[in-house]
Amino acid sequence: MIEKKSLLKKGYSWVNERFQLDSLISFMKKKEVPLYHGTIWYYFGGISLLLFIIQVVTGMLLLLYYKGSAELAFESVQFISAKVKFGWLIRSIHSWSANLMILSIFIHMFSVFFTKAFKKPRELTWYSGFILLALGMAFGFTGYLLPWNELSLFATKVGTDIPKAIPLIGGFIMNILRGGDEVSGATLSRFFGFHVALLPGIFTIILTLHLIFIQRQGMHAPENWEELPSASKKKIPFFPNFLIRDLLLWLIIINVLSILAVFFPWELGTKANELAPAPAGIKPEWYFLFMFQTLKLIPSRVLVLDGEVFGVLLFSIAGVLWFLVPVWDRKSKAGEKRYWLSYAGIFVIIYIIVFTIYGYIAK
Amino acid sequence: MIGNEKILRFGILFVFLLFNTIYSSAQEIESKDQCFNCHSILDGKLKTPADLYKGDIHFRKGVACSACHGGISTEEDQDKSMSKSEGFIGVPGGLQVSKICAKCHSKEFETLSKSVHGQSSTGQGLIINNCITCHGVHNIIPVKSPGSKVNGKNIVNTCASCHNNAALMRNYNPGLKVDQLEKYKTSVHGQKVFSGDSKPANCASCHGNHDIQKVKDPSSKVYVTNIPSTCNKCHGDANYMKEYKIPTDQYEKYKHSVHGVALLEKGDLNAPTCNKCHGDHGAAPPEVESVSKVCGTCHVLNSQMFQESPHKSAFDSKKYHECSVCHNNHDISSPTDEMLGNGEKSVCVKCHQNDKGLRSAITMRKMIDSLINDVDVANYFINAAEQKGMDVSDVKFESNDIKKVLITSRTITHTSDIEKYINTINEGFKITNKAKISGKEAVDEYYFRRLGLGVSTVFITILCITLYLKLKKIEKKQQKT
Repeated sequence: MIEKKSLLKKGYSWVNERFQLDSLISFMKKKEVPLYHGTIWYYFGGISLLLFIIQVVTGMLLLLYYKGSAELAFESVQFISAKVKFGWLIRSIHSWSANLMILSIFIHMFSVFFTKAFKKPRELTWYSGFILLALGMAFGFTGYLLPWNELSLFATKVGTDIPKAIPLIGGFIMNILRGGDEVSGATLSRFFGFHVALLPGIFTIILTLHLIFIQRQGMHAPENWEELPSASKKKIPFFPNFLIRDLLLWLIIINVLSILAVFFPWELGTKANELAPAPAGIKPEWYFLFMFQTLKLIPSRVLVLDGEVFGVLLFSIAGVLWFLVPVWDRKSKAGEKRYWLSYAGIFVIIYIIVFTIYGYIAK
Repeated sequence: MIGNEKILRFGILFVFLLFNTIYSSAQEIESKDQCFNCHSILDGKLKTPADLYKGDIHFRKGVACSACHGGISTEEDQDKSMSKSEGFIGVPGGLQVSKICAKCHSKEFETLSKSVHGQSSTGQGLIINNCITCHGVHNIIPVKSPGSKVNGKNIVNTCASCHNNAALMRNYNPGLKVDQLEKYKTSVHGQKVFSGDSKPANCASCHGNHDIQKVKDPSSKVYVTNIPSTCNKCHGDANYMKEYKIPTDQYEKYKHSVHGVALLEKGDLNAPTCNKCHGDHGAAPPEVESVSKVCGTCHVLNSQMFQESPHKSAFDSKKYHECSVCHNNHDISSPTDEMLGNGEKSVCVKCHQNDKGLRSAITMRKMIDSLINDVDVANYFINAAEQKGMDVSDVKFESNDIKKVLITSRTITHTSDIEKYINTINEGFKITNKAKISGKEAVDEYYFRRLGLGVSTVFITILCITLYLKLKKIEKKQQKT
């Protein structure tokens, strides 16, 4: 036992001499996390990070067998699910984790929005977080096509058709996405490249920046925190208290993922056939559904604009406005709070939930 | 005696009146029809119509020349009788001929117009066949008269005058065979007709007369699905067939046979009907030796295997009708495995009794029953795994080969080669064993996954509790300090 301890210590001091672990630990010990009724929202950033790590690990394992061509993609995923030891588990976890990651990022984003954690000096954290959400959705969109099944083919056809509505450059964007006029094997190769190289590269850079920003600025305290008496300002050290809580939650998330993967394995469907007619009820992934359903409801002509152009323009403006949230939320000259932004946020949440449900119900 | 005398007197009176009526109609024409009178005393080509017309049914019925040619028959003056203003048309041409006949025979012409012969011919304004093509002109006599061109004994030659003419038929249907007459001469129908029997089928019996349609036309009497009922019109009529001493239940048997059900109920146009086995124009029952050849046109492998089997020589020596001995002829049912062995429905026991052949048949039956049982077990495991959401598409795909094995083994029974049969069945067992193992493994995998999930959940829960306790311990320590 003594020998073991001394061996551990020896190992620690070996690393410490080279990488100054002591200073890192003392930094983490000094770092504090406010403890109040909204502390739970702090965990969703960590959960998103965990799910991203799971995506990277399971994605790399899938890459060992996946073949990114129209002729072999479906069969390779079938092989992974049926023949590779624990292949079914890895694939199911990858799919479930992807969806949970998007959900977690959404929750994280709205918690930041309503706790006003995007305010100065954290604007860059918000901007980088928004980009990470967009990249996460791009991951989902490109990954959805990779099994090359019937649903993914037609959902991608619908999805890549939308940019075509943009005047002047729409056709060019669609061509870039598809690698041709139609969704084909060329699109699959392209999406595969985006999914496993381009997007992870950009995501990692932005994620690193996002984490650096958080570390440099510390945890955001609630707005009325400063006004509270010091006795009421409860805080816990980031290390080990918050980190252990984080770990606990991570373990639970891993278990939830395992349960989902075992009880609800991700189905593969039937192989894509480019010449077959589109099956009825083609719908995108749930996180695109509110936009899809809105586009479906917009009339073919709105004022002078084509309906689809109007829809794309609407969501583009809404996206830019949401991205620039830190700019809008500035206190008035008199120092009064502006509640309209919070109301707008509530409206956005209700809109997304209602239209997502409507999208599922609608035929 | 008195009664008979009365009948005789009445008969004589009837014949007299009938003769008198016909004779008086003819007399009337001879006396009043100036066209007939003049043409009768003319020479050569102009005399022929009048000479021929004397034997024509229309002459006997008092139909005047002007009925078809127009003009005024009763007028002696040629300028008046053959005046165009009086409707004289001379020799009618093209479609005019049939239209003239249609004045009285409208129904027949209407039917002809809708038939294959009523379509436009290569000549302008003509139809392929007009009335006189088959019935002749000026010498038309009742169909039942032995001299009629369309009488049962003559119609074959009348039809053959065109259908046996390759150069003519090429104009309308180059693919249509022109050997119908030659074949017909070899058929039972043809031989009897040419030996003077008018009852057997001639062209019109099967194809119709004015209403003939193309064979591929579903309204044709000889369209594939209509053939059984067309043949049955004669062959199902016990009274009509009495003198030929052949069964008349073929249609009833065929209707319920595997072939009949396929054709008449399932609409499989490739299923054999009467003419596929008996021939059409050369129809005759297959000879003893040719039964397997006839069946073998579709059931190629079965026929080949039978030819090479020891059954071939045994059947030949006993003059057995090969295939039909086990499968029957018109009432062929879907073959089942029960036909093998020594059970109630076994066909082997018809000839074999406690000999080597029967022992082989019993072994075959046991083996195929056992394989089918194994297939059920394999399917049970595969279905169980599938219901549990496991991916068994590979096993299912491989198991499809079992169908091939079953078909092959059932075909191989025709060789009577027990060794070959056992080897084939064993191939089937290999597939079912593999499927059973894979199915079981998939079911086991399903439970393994749940067990694994249970174990990992327990492990994670313990880890969570440990971390929680550790956290509480740390926080307690922190509070103290």
